[in-house]
Amino acid sequence: MVILEARGIRKHFGGVVALSDGNLRCRQGRITGLLGANGSGKSTMSKIIAGVYRPDGGEIWYKGRPVHYRNPSEAKRDGIALVFQNLSLVPDLTVWQNVVLGMEKSRGIFLDNQEAKQIARDILSKLLPGLDITRKVYELSPGEMQIVEIAKAIAERPQLLILDEPTAALEHAQVKSLFAYMRALAQSGVAIVFTSHRLWEVMEICNDVTIFRNGATVAYIDFDQEEKDPETIISHITGETVRSSPAERTFGEKPASREVLLRAHIRSKVKSLRDVSLELARGEILGIGGLAGQGQNELLYALAGSFPGVQCEVEIEGRKIVLRRPQDAIQNGILLVPGDRQKEGLFLEHSVYSNMVFPKFGLSRHPVIIPEKKYRGECEDIVRLLSIKVSSLDAPVSTLSGGNQQKVVVGKWLSFDVKVFLLADPAKGVDIGAKRDLYEYIRRLARERGIGVILYASDHEELAQYADRVLVMYEGGIVAALTGEDISEETITATSVRAR
Amino acid sequence: METFLKKTFPWYGWLLGSWFPVQYRKAFTILFLTVLLYAGGGVVVPGFLTLEQILLTLKLAAFIALFGLCQMIVIVAGGGGLDLSVGYTATLTAVLTASIMDGRNAYLGIALLVALVLGLLVGFANGVLTSYLKLPPLVVTLAMADILQGIVNAYVAGKAITGRPSPVLVTLAAKLTGVFPNILFVLIPVAVLAILVFERTKWGQVLFGVGANERTAYLCGIDVKKVRFLTFVASGVLASLIGLLLLGNMGIAFKDMGSNYVMPSIAAVVVGGVPLAGGGGSYFGVILGSIFLQALTNLLTALGLGDAGKWLGFGIILFAMLSVYAGNRRSR
Amino acid sequence: MDAARKGIVVLPFEVLKRALLQPEASSLLMFFVLFGITAILQENFFEAKSIVRTINSFAPLILLAMGQAIVIISGGIDLSSGAALSLLTCVLTTVMKKDDPITGVYALILAFLVALGTGVVNGLGIGYLRIPPVIVTFATSYAWLGIALFLRPTPGGESVPWFRVFYNMRVVEGVPEVLKSLGNYVPPALLLIVGACVLWYIVSRTRTGRYIYAVGSNIESAYVSGINTGKTQMLACVLNAVLIFLAALFFVGQNQTGDARMGGPLTLRSIAAVVVGGIALSGGRGSVYLAIVGALILGFVGRIIFFANVPNAYQTLVSGIIVIAAIAGPAYATLRRELR
Repeated sequence: MVILEARGIRKHFGGVVALSDGNLRCRQGRITGLLGANGSGKSTMSKIIAGVYRPDGGEIWYKGRPVHYRNPSEAKRDGIALVFQNLSLVPDLTVWQNVVLGMEKSRGIFLDNQEAKQIARDILSKLLPGLDITRKVYELSPGEMQIVEIAKAIAERPQLLILDEPTAALEHAQVKSLFAYMRALAQSGVAIVFTSHRLWEVMEICNDVTIFRNGATVAYIDFDQEEKDPETIISHITGETVRSSPAERTFGEKPASREVLLRAHIRSKVKSLRDVSLELARGEILGIGGLAGQGQNELLYALAGSFPGVQCEVEIEGRKIVLRRPQDAIQNGILLVPGDRQKEGLFLEHSVYSNMVFPKFGLSRHPVIIPEKKYRGECEDIVRLLSIKVSSLDAPVSTLSGGNQQKVVVGKWLSFDVKVFLLADPAKGVDIGAKRDLYEYIRRLARERGIGVILYASDHEELAQYADRVLVMYEGGIVAALTGEDISEETITATSVRAR
Repeated sequence: METFLKKTFPWYGWLLGSWFPVQYRKAFTILFLTVLLYAGGGVVVPGFLTLEQILLTLKLAAFIALFGLCQMIVIVAGGGGLDLSVGYTATLTAVLTASIMDGRNAYLGIALLVALVLGLLVGFANGVLTSYLKLPPLVVTLAMADILQGIVNAYVAGKAITGRPSPVLVTLAAKLTGVFPNILFVLIPVAVLAILVFERTKWGQVLFGVGANERTAYLCGIDVKKVRFLTFVASGVLASLIGLLLLGNMGIAFKDMGSNYVMPSIAAVVVGGVPLAGGGGSYFGVILGSIFLQALTNLLTALGLGDAGKWLGFGIILFAMLSVYAGNRRSR
Repeated sequence: MDAARKGIVVLPFEVLKRALLQPEASSLLMFFVLFGITAILQENFFEAKSIVRTINSFAPLILLAMGQAIVIISGGIDLSSGAALSLLTCVLTTVMKKDDPITGVYALILAFLVALGTGVVNGLGIGYLRIPPVIVTFATSYAWLGIALFLRPTPGGESVPWFRVFYNMRVVEGVPEVLKSLGNYVPPALLLIVGACVLWYIVSRTRTGRYIYAVGSNIESAYVSGINTGKTQMLACVLNAVLIFLAALFFVGQNQTGDARMGGPLTLRSIAAVVVGGIALSGGRGSVYLAIVGALILGFVGRIIFFANVPNAYQTLVSGIIVIAAIAGPAYATLRRELR
């Protein structure tokens, strides 16, 4: 029996359309998989259903009634539970205290701890047998924490359970336990929505799959009736629309030489990034692809000397250096345009001028008194160069559009002696015009000034358009390298999804 | 604050005008409030609105403003920075140097040196504990204040504090030139220098950046820990030097010389429009804030409310301003 | 020795070692050591009279430390506890008139309401307005000081005779003999402390108690889980206020005067007691009873200093150094672990 039906869901954030036509049907007792590449809208879809976002259009029918949830609590009250990253665990309380947090039962004025422990034990003995429920949550491993988070949602006795990438932090055995429990839960009548970037997991546990691409639902495959064919699924994810061919790939001039500009070796002790080695040629744009959150940002941080706990040795223009702090990278012309421009790239309350000038002050040989006139002139030049739309240099950067903000983040480095530009998803949330300006400028920098560019883009179409070579990342490591003719949005996405 | 005033007095928005440069709006608001205070006070209390009174207010406000500079330096760099030890740093310096100078100019140089060293030590300790050991600045500087107070008590134990400031200090801090308090001749250059450093030097801009967004500053290659450490050192040294001026003003050193300035210095910074989280603000606003607070104190004293009224007033104003700022933050 | 027996011998050591590594253990250890030293230095330490005197001198700090612990665990901090205590003593001694016993009752009621008021104001600032606790309680501490000075510009005021029951039951007329003989061994101060412990015991077993820990541990998670974080933090402040009220009763019972400035030094010492007792300043964990241990440690250090003939003036110096050492120690240890 259908418990949830969503039709024609639309959602945009600022100027970016996340969903143009989202459709989903969930049945009681069945596990529905959501699949799609980055930016396909699947994550937005689950959040809308759980009440985290409000849709701009479309209808949602839950248990036969139309619903409009304004916040997650309303959805929770209706029996919809959402589990994504560890957002609701309290580290200093024990496992069982967390499982019942917010819904504790009491006897008189005192809490009924026996009942709470029993509830926790009931769920966790099946999900993660052997877990000591009296341990404090901060003592647990990330995988165990994820399981407790799931247990907490289950304790609310939901009728629709949404699991968003629950297996990302889990080890193999834990995934097996989770799947067994999910099957049992489904048998008791709960409807489950399950997303994962591991294709084989979805094929193993789900009864049916809804596939998203470019903000719309493009396919629905019922595994009880049709065959489980990974290739079919992948083709739906990547799209079989014939692109206007490799002509779409603007080549421009090829990089002049294969002269190696940078060799990097990264030795990592953290889970999010594995040991990586790569080379970058002069004038080359090296793309980094893969599904979201596979370590691409971390790779760039490491290359910028901004990832404590990861050791990065580079050989640049023949010189060997170890990058321990951001200063080490900056002094050698390795400059980072970080992934979250508002939280990492800008001082939102400060003016465009202040933002653009700031990195200069990090250089040791900078004069105490700021040469205002000279710098203002430079900033005006950069504003013109990048076509930054701003009323005056003194306007606070928070008043600029996303695209122009991004141009400021890039612009602040342009007066430096750039050798390698590290760009972490620079066009995310940026309008088409600004996107084109940025990429054209970067490509010109690469080709004309021989600068090396390492570009991470979550939108594989961008990568396909601008990158000379693409490295695909998966779970912190590089799993594939694509060159020349092989580079297209479909191949990049397919490689990302197929990875194991 | 301006938004609050604009909502309560619709014509205030017109008065402020959209042509007024953004950074001076907050300052204008405080000036406006101060004028209001004096107007009101002049009506209620005869003799309140005289040139003499105003200059006296400026003289006392100058000390608050100087301590306010210590606070501003630490607060602007963000990270919850606050220096509660400035009061006792000043007091200790005054107590130690009083007997060194003993009323003569001859040892003024040594007194300055002692003050510098003491300020460096206190600032160094505060800086290391807060920035490198990541201990909460409030608790550290509060404990430091207690330690300094203990040292003062120990030094003083039993005997009376001897010594007098050198005449130069007395002239600078206590005396007037005609009707004009000399301390302003100290404050004005300090203010000009401070504003220049904040607005036009890399040090000031780095401070603002670190306070505005620690992560962005880090990714631009700034050593955030070192910057915050240095702000405490600066605050300590400044507070110590202010101690010399306090000594000059009072003529003798006594145990509670500096501690009464701590609260007003923080209140002046908040009233002056410097966000407690750091990243913005202007020293000009802090000076105006000090004047406002001192005027308020004088008014309360003139109304016979004395110490009680002063502290209650400070508490209420600070609480009110904090609520307004918190409200602004949330409505965004 | 075969493997099994070796295991039995080794096991207790392992348990002991792991127990000692807890922050709570080190504070308990410190307590026992200091207790021992004080007992040795002070000749009549174990006499009943002396024990009573010890409890009496430590009582205000113990009560304030417990209240401070509750606020700190909830994610806040209270820089106004000393000022609030002073304020309450001034309220009590202003309302009470020596010759009119009923004013004692009025004073009790009014002071209790004022105490609740201070808790509500702080809780409003911390929990609902979300002003950083350090700065909002810093502001309110001056507000309380101002009001207290208003009531009592100089220390003084009056107290009804029966109020001394909060300090010493034997001195008051009309108290039944049974209680009086009890008072020989169990001073009222101890009863107040026990009362505070009972109060916390009850609260800690209710929803509010659990939520205080949750909010202090991670306020976003608590909020997302449906907990009313504003109410929880306010309740913590109000509990603190009640404990401060109890301390005020003791103080006025002991001294019959109100003093607007007496509480000042106690604020930092109460924070020191919490930290020394092993409760994290960041909140979310620790047992409130450990604050008692911390207060006793500070108290004994003071005693030892006294017996070592070091002047009283050094109290603040020492408590300042202890605070820094207490919070710096674990921070330094964490730092070294991170650097490895």
